[in-house]
Amino acid sequence: MITHIDLQAVLRTSLAAPYADLVTRPTGRAVRASIEEVLAADAAVALLDFTGVGLIDFSCADEIVAKLSRDRVRVLLVRGLTEGHREALEPVLEAAGLAVLCAQADGTLDAVGRRASAGPLLEELLLRRFATRTAAGAVALTPA
Amino acid sequence: MTRLVEVPTQFDDRSFDQFAASYAAAAADGARLLFDAHATEWASPYGLVGLLAAGQAAGGGGEKPLLTVPTNTDVAGYWARAGFFREAAELFEVHGKVPRVRPAEESDVLLPVTPVRAAEDVHDVVSRIQQRASAILAAKVGLDPRATMGFAMALSEACQNIVEHAGTGGWVAVQSYHWRRRLARRVVVIAVADAGVGFQHSLEPSQARRFGGRWGDAAALEAALIQGVSRFRDPGRGQGLAGIRRYLTRWNGKIAIRSGTARIAIVPSWDDDVPMQEGLAPFPGAQVLLIVPEQDSAEP
Repeated sequence: MITHIDLQAVLRTSLAAPYADLVTRPTGRAVRASIEEVLAADAAVALLDFTGVGLIDFSCADEIVAKLSRDRVRVLLVRGLTEGHREALEPVLEAAGLAVLCAQADGTLDAVGRRASAGPLLEELLLRRFATRTAAGAVALTPA
Repeated sequence: MTRLVEVPTQFDDRSFDQFAASYAAAAADGARLLFDAHATEWASPYGLVGLLAAGQAAGGGGEKPLLTVPTNTDVAGYWARAGFFREAAELFEVHGKVPRVRPAEESDVLLPVTPVRAAEDVHDVVSRIQQRASAILAAKVGLDPRATMGFAMALSEACQNIVEHAGTGGWVAVQSYHWRRRLARRVVVIAVADAGVGFQHSLEPSQARRFGGRWGDAAALEAALIQGVSRFRDPGRGQGLAGIRRYLTRWNGKIAIRSGTARIAIVPSWDDDVPMQEGLAPFPGAQVLLIVPEQDSAEP
């Protein structure tokens, strides 16, 4: 099972004030702690939905996306990314040697971060039957 | 006894070292300081937040330092609109006429002088800059819409340096203006200053041994800005300044950081600054300057 996380909702409930932006290390740590409470101990695949999230800075990209990807789940999926979100995630994941997979509107997946690290993630999704290869050769999430 | 610290007539990053030298000389014996700005004709956001940092450091011993207000009413009015006097009232015994002004709706002050003490303040700064500045940055300053997204990120990371490393509060200000003489274009300037522990002290436990005899303010700035090191062992740390640097390189911008007795800069082709200056007059904390110029249609 893929655990779906609505980041905007987590951001609103994790902190004392209802912020719209994922900025600062303390915010990132609080949001990650809330996500980890939701994730089952053996959760292997999680999907972070960025829809409605304003800005994410490098600090939150590291505290949330890089650390969940490195320490908590085998495959981290993201969706609802804006170009601004990507600007923060790409260099942080690249520097950490990590990748996450971004689900497009049609379900196909593309890598964010270090491209070389994305291959094993796609294989893992295919193995768990969370994704299939399309006729065009892309990998897409299996419809729920 | 009161000692005089002269505020330069044109007070910006270029004249800051003159101000720092005057401050260092006057502060040496712990006497009460008088910051004399009566003849100041212009101050950049960098000058304003730097002056607050000096006031913070000078008042650390107890008695507030003195500050004379610029006698030029236009100058004093701008300082008031920029939010300077609101913050200065906490730090200085202010002498002179402080104009009562309302922040103008149509203003080049994108973010008035704003205190940064905690993560909540960074949220507030980022939220305000996005509401106020995005349209202005794109329409008036000609920044590519993609550059405005990274601008808020750079601002966030610059402010977080205070929260994470300074050990005290600081200030940020953002303004756009037309740089006729230096660039013949509009620019957006972020200025951040604190009177905290500075880069050398912050990085000393983790970096001093690695640099050996070279260790000092310049080596600390080099480690932070060029090598992306942090005082934290967490491998994900140190990305803030690296991200700012990447952003400014992409949009042909400039970053300069002064801390202690050194100043480092990533210098774009349009500027004639030097990459590193050492042996400057000591000044507490860190002062950060980010400049993003109006973009040519062909850039980047």
